[in-house]
Amino acid sequence: MSPEAAHIESSCITEACTEEYSEKKREISSLNFKFPGELLFKISGRRKGLKGQLNRGGIFLFVFFLFMALFPSFLAPYAPNERFTPYKEPSWDHFLGTNDIGNDIFSELVYGSRISMTVGFAAALVSTLIGAILGICAGYFRGALDELLMGFTDVVLIIPKIPLIIVLGAYLQPSIWILIPVLGLLSWESTARVTRSKTLQLREAGYVKSARCMGFSSWHIMSTDIFPNLYNVLLPKFMLATASAMISEASLSFLGLSDISMKSWGTMLSFAFFRGGFIRDMWWWYTPPGICITLCIISIALIGFGLETQGKEHVREGADAM
Amino acid sequence: MFSISLRADRLSKTYEAGLLSTGKCIFREVSFEIRSGKTFGLMGSSGEGKSTLGRVVAGLEKATTGSVYYKGTPLTLMKKNEKIAFRRKVQIMFQDPTDAFNPRKKIGHAISEVLALLGVPEARHSSKTEEMLITTGLPKEVLSRYPSQISGGQLQRLALSRILLLDPEYIVLDEPTSALDVSVQAQILHMLKEVQTERNTGYLLISHDEIVIRFMSDSYGVLENGQLKIIE
Repeated sequence: MSPEAAHIESSCITEACTEEYSEKKREISSLNFKFPGELLFKISGRRKGLKGQLNRGGIFLFVFFLFMALFPSFLAPYAPNERFTPYKEPSWDHFLGTNDIGNDIFSELVYGSRISMTVGFAAALVSTLIGAILGICAGYFRGALDELLMGFTDVVLIIPKIPLIIVLGAYLQPSIWILIPVLGLLSWESTARVTRSKTLQLREAGYVKSARCMGFSSWHIMSTDIFPNLYNVLLPKFMLATASAMISEASLSFLGLSDISMKSWGTMLSFAFFRGGFIRDMWWWYTPPGICITLCIISIALIGFGLETQGKEHVREGADAM
Repeated sequence: MFSISLRADRLSKTYEAGLLSTGKCIFREVSFEIRSGKTFGLMGSSGEGKSTLGRVVAGLEKATTGSVYYKGTPLTLMKKNEKIAFRRKVQIMFQDPTDAFNPRKKIGHAISEVLALLGVPEARHSSKTEEMLITTGLPKEVLSRYPSQISGGQLQRLALSRILLLDPEYIVLDEPTSALDVSVQAQILHMLKEVQTERNTGYLLISHDEIVIRFMSDSYGVLENGQLKIIE
């Protein structure tokens, strides 16, 4: 084809493409093809009725707790270690009174979100990364490696987590830097299983087969063709793992297996229980951290379930095969 | 010329029996040869194993018995560098054009990756891509679009030209036109013919459409009940 002819044809095609493009754009909007950045807003926008309200509520609560964790000084009236008269009842000076050593409970609560959420997100990140790597390798390579990795996953799946964490927590020095890897290393199995099954599906997609045929390395295919298409599966798993890690952290802290210099909501509950909060019926000491743990986990779980449902709808609509 | 052909020698494919199912033989003792510049058509009804046979010939799946020979060497006995050469020189083009590109990569990115794989310096990527677009007759703006924003015919042309960047000797065409409408089918078939004349590429054309097979093929075979009947 001569360059002139190509130019004429290309300009004709450009016009045709522009028309086609606008038609396609309409088609695409009806397919609901989404990119990760728009995700949270889309879930809240799309769901109608009770489900939508719950999702919006979840996002709102989550943003509130995130703000609390990132900028505690905006909300907390005092530093968490500042001392006042102990066992004070709620007043204008101290919204939630003071604890046994005179720390302002409200300030402690605000700063405590930082530790609880850090442990939750960091442990979830570790578990999601391990689960994703093992799941992708098992699903992509299949064969003996798949059998080996999934066999190992089954073994980890049957380990009783909380008793093991308690034993490890008791033997190792209590610290969130021990707690994060321990929680992460013991909760990746379901992510690995789900990632594997999705990878098996993606492995048969035309673009993966084409990439294999063209001679791209397995690493390139797994990292650029498979991993980015797993976000529908990994994001909800990450959120649910965060909620689960926060529950475990709160349980262990309540049992006294946490670093007392880093007060989380679970540690606050533990102190309220063991240092006279319950005996003196100081509900303003033990109720707020309990409510915060519950609401934060509900908000994360709501987002996680919303993303999971959206992922299923995405598959039903066939957008994955696009 | 025996040594430069792509040859399937007594290929059989059987899916293994499981605990609850008996094994299924897809095809048995299938032999044929694809020569440079020629097209071998493979016909058969749905579910006869044409696509599986295509994937085996392209080296994406292993045959249960039998071998695929490239330049006289069976795939199973190839050394690493021979395998790399085979991987570049034998390509496959799939039926569904919308599935040929990663939905999360822009077309330009997908093309650049192939150029990077071939070791083309980044400075030359744009000139190479422009050359490719002239061959396909598509405007430059398609490079900045996602696959879902382009029509099936355009995607199929882009898929073919991306394959052509690798300068393959043989292409397995797995029902390349069955997902397209009639007018676009003709465009793609003519483009394939042009490419074959210009580059002396050998094709294994898989289709259930006899008209397409007759139009494109120099010889063809019908896969029926696991057996290949060759019609010259």
